[in-house]
Amino acid sequence: MMLARAAENLYWMARYLERAENTARLINSTTLVLLDLPPGASFGWVNLIEVAGLDSLFHQHYPDANEDSVMRFLIEDSRNPSSILSCMQYARENTRTLREVLPAEMWERINSLCLYVRENAAFACRSRRDRYTVLSNVIEQRHAIIGLVSGTMSHDLAYQIIKLGRNLERADMTTRIIDISSAVQLPQDDVLHEAIMERIWKSTLDSLSAYQSYRRLVSMNVRGSEVVNFLLNDMRFPRSVDHCLSEIEACLKLMPISQQLRQIVAQLRHKIAQRHTDRLSAIALHEYLDLLQAELGEIHDALNYRYFHSQPEESPPIEPVPAESELTQ
Amino acid sequence: MELATSEYANNTAYDELLDRDLQPRLAARPLIDYLNSLDENDLAARRKEVDATIKAMGITFTIYSESGNIDRAWPFDPIPRVMARKEWECIQAGLKQRLTALNLFINDLYNEQRIIKDRVFPAEVLVGSGNYRMECIGITPRFGVWAHICGTDLVRDRDGIVYVLEDNLRVPSGVSYMLGNRQVMKRIFPEVFRTTTILPVDDYPTQLYQTLAALSPRPGDQPLIVVLTPGIHNSAYFEHSYLAQQMGAYLVEGSDLLVDKDDIVYMKSITGLERVDVIYRRIDDAFLDPEVFNPDSMLGVRGLMRAWRNGNVGIANAPGAGVADDKVVYTFVPQIIRYYLDQDPILANVPSYLCMYEDQRNHVLNNLDKLVVKPANESGGYGMLIGPRATQEERAKFADLIRANPRNYMAQPTLDISTAPTLVDGHLAPRHLDLRPFVLQSDKLYATTGGLTRVALRKGSLVVNSSQGGGSKDTWIVEEGVP
Repeated sequence: MMLARAAENLYWMARYLERAENTARLINSTTLVLLDLPPGASFGWVNLIEVAGLDSLFHQHYPDANEDSVMRFLIEDSRNPSSILSCMQYARENTRTLREVLPAEMWERINSLCLYVRENAAFACRSRRDRYTVLSNVIEQRHAIIGLVSGTMSHDLAYQIIKLGRNLERADMTTRIIDISSAVQLPQDDVLHEAIMERIWKSTLDSLSAYQSYRRLVSMNVRGSEVVNFLLNDMRFPRSVDHCLSEIEACLKLMPISQQLRQIVAQLRHKIAQRHTDRLSAIALHEYLDLLQAELGEIHDALNYRYFHSQPEESPPIEPVPAESELTQ
Repeated sequence: MELATSEYANNTAYDELLDRDLQPRLAARPLIDYLNSLDENDLAARRKEVDATIKAMGITFTIYSESGNIDRAWPFDPIPRVMARKEWECIQAGLKQRLTALNLFINDLYNEQRIIKDRVFPAEVLVGSGNYRMECIGITPRFGVWAHICGTDLVRDRDGIVYVLEDNLRVPSGVSYMLGNRQVMKRIFPEVFRTTTILPVDDYPTQLYQTLAALSPRPGDQPLIVVLTPGIHNSAYFEHSYLAQQMGAYLVEGSDLLVDKDDIVYMKSITGLERVDVIYRRIDDAFLDPEVFNPDSMLGVRGLMRAWRNGNVGIANAPGAGVADDKVVYTFVPQIIRYYLDQDPILANVPSYLCMYEDQRNHVLNNLDKLVVKPANESGGYGMLIGPRATQEERAKFADLIRANPRNYMAQPTLDISTAPTLVDGHLAPRHLDLRPFVLQSDKLYATTGGLTRVALRKGSLVVNSSQGGGSKDTWIVEEGVP
């Protein structure tokens, strides 16, 4: 049994934590791409902000998109609700309302990470090197939090909701990180083009800690279409969109009144499996990723309606709750 | 570790740890020996660790200000306050006696009013009480208990005697800081717990849970207990969430609950409505139920009083319990104890003057420069006059207030409340403090081991409230002479 408002706060806590980590990954990946660019190539800072879905907000506050302004916007700007600092503040505020449903150490961990980001965000915007150090620490501390959740929290409803939020956010961010490649503008030189693109896709894999898995599971050669297919469709890799969706399905199976939601998720998985991405042009890929983001948004809406804001008076008949053993496995 | 000797030379108050010759009292000897083994650098390093730990543990309180609410780290002094177990046990017995009598008193006021008929308690005091709730007349809650959770403020005067300063029976707070202080001390000074037998404090959440569970209208089942908070902007929100977590209760806001046509309280869960058995409410009576009290309240639950009156939900503290949390009623507590229990009070009241009686009022008005004057229904140290420290104008203004509404004021001599060594600029300086133990009553009685020690961090200050520059210390009840 769980309070609807607490469920919603838990869900957002999980999403904000995941978003903070993935924004850190997105930024580190961008930095790696930048280091690999040959003379004559340029990086579209505007495109990066577009990929993150934050372009109109960005333009309200900054005249130009360049490395400095984009990094400040993504890392330390509290006017951006998705900046790493904002994500951590929101995660902390949500956790403050959830101390009774979380393991006691959770609050301390999240509070400490939030304090760390508060104290180091400005420092991280100083240079590429400082940025890398701080963001790597954020990712590392965030992993300690996930470890705490899976290692000490009873695997009850609250746990499933955290997992739901985490995987939905992760799927969304994976599609955005794939899209970074669209931000690179290359000179017209076919030979150079192929070599550069390979490096860019390798950076994309690196940013998701996916390079090793890709080489082992797919190929020694880094080819765009195969990377995209791996990150969207390969069940075996924990940050692929299909893996995240399968985790969401597993959570929903253990949750009450979830049949309709499970159908939506199954349909999306089917759609992704059917769609071949190997012949997509850069623009078509970008559009496809946009579409996936919209579909993930629909899963969010359905969750929101079903669990967080359903009016008790109109609540549909309650499905049988899964057996105890299923919940505690 | 060095004493701030000149400050101590001028200290007229009783010191909790040091005797008149600045030698450690018996109970404090192991602690002082330990402190003497630390040099200034050691202590500075621990001080730093303490601050970092409090920050990481997120022990905070909220200060209201015009520029918004600020979440501040809890100001904590690492030098504990020590009391011998023998003395504490006597105080504990006094606390339980006091709460038992107060609950009999409240139940009597809402029912037969025997104490008024027997002319022990004057009817005019009840008439003037701001916290007497007509809506509660004729009700007897489970066990006849109204105040299930009581925070009693104790101080020690120059004579070494411990006095009760006030009984907080509405929504007393601070117990989470008592628990947090101990956790911090265990992390930062683990060695000293080996050299002294310090009684543990951490059974409070379990005791609170049992006290609340006993109020469930559906005994036998595992009751659904909620902590009702005004929300994240309340100054005690940290405590609300901490206690909910420690007890495994649900932390809810008014909008999470509803009372249905069956007069039963439900909680909005992700699968629909769930019946609530017991509410530990941390909002004032006035906001509890817009149907009965303040109609504009956004914090409460419409119909809650109906559900409670019909016995469908337990509420702690019961609505209306605050009638005994009144500084004028306070002055009658010794008589109340004698009347209901036929016992002498174990704990002393501070001698008090009631402004409602002409002779006592004249005494107060003639001695405003020597007395502390308190309004009946304020808490948190607000709205009072500390005569010896006030200006002529402040005293004149207060004299007018008293004449205009004598029922609302009482006065007490200024106490020279006790001190304990407190870490100030690398030295141990005497700072004034009080003690707030927490007492529980439903089917059983319980009192915390020690309580929350609040300390006025400013030199010479007597105000210990955290909203006004106070901090706190860990409170050790120790076996005397046992290493």
